[in-house]
Amino acid sequence: MANDPIHQFQIHDLTGSFNLGGYEISFTNSALFMGAIVAVITGFFWLASRKAELVPGRVQSVGEMWYGMIDNMVNNVLGHDGKKFFPLVFSLFSFVLVANMLGMFPYFFTVTSHVIVTASLALFVILLVVVVGIYKHGLGWFKLFVPSGVPLAILPFISLIEIISFLSRPISLGLRLFGNMLAGHIVLKVFAGFVVSLGTLGGLGILGAIAPLAMAVALTALEFLVAFLQAFVFAILTCVYLNDALHTHH
Amino acid sequence: MAEPRKPKTPQNEADPKLGDLSNRLKDLSDRIAAERTDQAAARQPSNRYDSAKDYSKGYRLASEFVAGVLVGGLLGYGLDYLVGTLPLFLILFLLLGFGAGILNMSRAANRSQPTAEELRKMTPPSADDEEED
Repeated sequence: MANDPIHQFQIHDLTGSFNLGGYEISFTNSALFMGAIVAVITGFFWLASRKAELVPGRVQSVGEMWYGMIDNMVNNVLGHDGKKFFPLVFSLFSFVLVANMLGMFPYFFTVTSHVIVTASLALFVILLVVVVGIYKHGLGWFKLFVPSGVPLAILPFISLIEIISFLSRPISLGLRLFGNMLAGHIVLKVFAGFVVSLGTLGGLGILGAIAPLAMAVALTALEFLVAFLQAFVFAILTCVYLNDALHTHH
Repeated sequence: MAEPRKPKTPQNEADPKLGDLSNRLKDLSDRIAAERTDQAAARQPSNRYDSAKDYSKGYRLASEFVAGVLVGGLLGYGLDYLVGTLPLFLILFLLLGFGAGILNMSRAANRSQPTAEELRKMTPPSADDEEED
């Protein structure tokens, strides 16, 4: 495991796989950590809401802050009738945030560093946007791709561009989270590897190892920031896209 | 400043000392205003966020653009694969994807205003960063 920066992302089987209708089903470390994420979120909010006091304790006030932040976001972006999407946005944000934060522990697996996980989340959001848009506006929702006030001569091009722009949303949504987590963890590992390999040289090497060590410490702080920020961005973009579906203004 | 005030406060210019006083008053109020803006700037907790905000904004814009080009290229390649005219649609849709990327980017840039405002309004997230693990 020593110096391979990619090794931390390997998925391996924990219990042994079995066949189900021609598909291989197995309980992997990724599944284990997804379960752990749900357990952490559930446990935390159980603790936070166990004894609801008028003057909140530490855990309760963190829980309230967490809830209040997403509530604020949904209210600001989606408006009043977006209230029914609050549970969805809250779950998405909590899942991504806890996944990113758990990934910051040494030897832990980062679920969001796999593109299949983030792409699934992003595809789910975009499909929901399409369903909500068609449910709310009927087939008139497709006017989203035909902006008004465009000369007929260039309308086909504009429509094509709008369609590509819409299709690129899940890509950018999923790829951003995946790329940030993957790149951050690789860079962190590489710098930590420098410390070890320089340190084993002894003498001047140990002196030289101070620089990458400082870098690794700074990067760890940055990674915590990125972990929070990416969860936040994921949640707010979910709101923005849902807002497009709810209030089509084209 | 002495001209319009002449009828009201005639002694203002007559006494050079008082003229000096009004200058000093103006100077003082200027200094107070400067101090106030300094304090207001120092009191804002959002300074810590600024680099993070810029970072996330830059990354968001970049990924919007890349996603547009990527989707355009993939669509073009898929069409070519189906029809069998390999470079034609790939080139066409890459260009369209480029346009879509620019469109995405300009939309994201216009949209990021409320987001920044929100970050400022929100309670600092540092507390839940530390405790929820």
